[in-house]
Amino acid sequence: MSAPGDVERLLACVIARELRDTDIVAFGLHAELLLAAALLAQRLHAPNLVLRHGLREERGAEIGPAAWTDNARSRTHELIEYVEEHDVILDVASLSPMRFCDVFLVGGMQIDREGSVNLIGIKGKDGRLAVRGPGSIGTTSIATLARRPILFSPDHTPRRFVERVDYVSVPGWKRRAAAGLEGGPILCVTPLAVMDFADGAMRLRSVHGHTTLDEVRRRTGFPLAPDGPVPVTPPPTKSESDAIEIVDPFGRLAGLGFRADGGDQ
Amino acid sequence: MSGENRRERVVSVTEAVTLVKDGAVVGLSGFSYQNPPMALVREIIRRRVRDLTIVSGPTSGIETDLLIGAGCVRRVITAGVAFEKVIPIAPAFRRAAESGAIDIWECDECIWHLALKAAAWGMPHILWRGGVATSLPELNRDLQEVEVDGMRYLKVPPVQPDIVFLHVAEADVFGNLRMAREAYLGRSFAERALALACRGPVVASCERIVPNDEVVEHPERTFVRGALVVELPNGSHPGGTSGRSIPDLDHYREYTAAGEAARKGEPGRYQAYLERYVYGPDNHDDYLKVVGGARLESLRMSVA
Repeated sequence: MSAPGDVERLLACVIARELRDTDIVAFGLHAELLLAAALLAQRLHAPNLVLRHGLREERGAEIGPAAWTDNARSRTHELIEYVEEHDVILDVASLSPMRFCDVFLVGGMQIDREGSVNLIGIKGKDGRLAVRGPGSIGTTSIATLARRPILFSPDHTPRRFVERVDYVSVPGWKRRAAAGLEGGPILCVTPLAVMDFADGAMRLRSVHGHTTLDEVRRRTGFPLAPDGPVPVTPPPTKSESDAIEIVDPFGRLAGLGFRADGGDQ
Repeated sequence: MSGENRRERVVSVTEAVTLVKDGAVVGLSGFSYQNPPMALVREIIRRRVRDLTIVSGPTSGIETDLLIGAGCVRRVITAGVAFEKVIPIAPAFRRAAESGAIDIWECDECIWHLALKAAAWGMPHILWRGGVATSLPELNRDLQEVEVDGMRYLKVPPVQPDIVFLHVAEADVFGNLRMAREAYLGRSFAERALALACRGPVVASCERIVPNDEVVEHPERTFVRGALVVELPNGSHPGGTSGRSIPDLDHYREYTAAGEAARKGEPGRYQAYLERYVYGPDNHDDYLKVVGGARLESLRMSVA
């Protein structure tokens, strides 16, 4: 089994490798994983990547990634473009150069085969809402309008990865295409594997070194292509590891609570 | 600038809160932990107002959850009710949502804001791309998709509060509301959107009433005008007041423990919370004594 924080650091690298120099990457609360990935990408291959951030530090209150480091000069003012007003989202819902963002990180109670995500709730046997979720928060519009949302889950269980979500907070590939929306989720990362999408369906790209392909299939509520073997997720390189030391000086990634064993089923 | 005959807009807590009638649509400030008008909310609960529709957020916090837990709410219009890292779904909201005790207008933060904009602009609806191809139309009869020139949109209807309560750092006696400092980033759009959408009075509790001369000197800091004003220092506790105090996370944990106990079938602890912090104290000053001066002092930010 891996050491604390290994999985989170690996996933930060996996996401960073997907980010481009021209990207605008936006954050909500608790998006430490994407923040770490974006800061890594800026250091490694995407110096012009723009971070768009809606929060600020209020003397150490637990209000999100802006409070990640005590060193304001190193991060919170110079590297991050704050959202000074929520209107920024409303003012640019187009794909213009002033667009709100390209990449946004999306988690949820359920994620399905086409990459739709549910934050609203879980239905009971009678079809009514039985377990209330957090609600759509800022995610629905931003993730719908972002062309390349990235999905994540802190565990990997059949409860989380279902054939069809009970409610759709963020649409996956087929729903997006039917509504004329450009793009769709490009990646789904979990403590066990990395998935991407082909023809609107999730498929395995790689399985992390500390687990097995069988375990990943057993813990996913729908079949995952391809049928054959799948590569091991490339571990952090030397330069990636060095960059993580710089962007996460207090080891906050280790505190995200991702379940390296995939979590309770 | 301040003419002698100009009408002052300072009111008492009682005057402010008696404006709320059963069944009213009530807008409340409070984005997550910041700026909830808690002293006014506790007074609304003491008056046992019922069947309110709460418009709060865009993502709400304890102001909304406490009103739900105290039985004052029939419907909420918010993108979520949460205490960030203390608990991702606020306990009274979760319990009421799962039992069907409240109706929820299922929206996200952008749609929440647009609905208030539609009211402020006097528009019958605003078309918005975010949220198409989701379950929102299935969950809200009045939030349907339309197609225009081959593109699908959500048709966002206006949401218009009957009355709005805010908590701010400073105000003058004429109802000009200011944030703590001009450099403050974010978190004021919701107060402004609520105030501009409101069909009735906007009431603001403030940390301090400042002279009108100071307001005139820095018009860029005024973000709402024409409000009724109540001076209630620490009026956002346990929430923070932007630029003045940080949230009392220990108090949030105490509230959450009581709320979670109630959700799991043990209502006594929540009732005890209400007795200690809401029904027990006769007014805001009494409440602050229960919380304790040392605690309040530890939450204060150094004023820039």
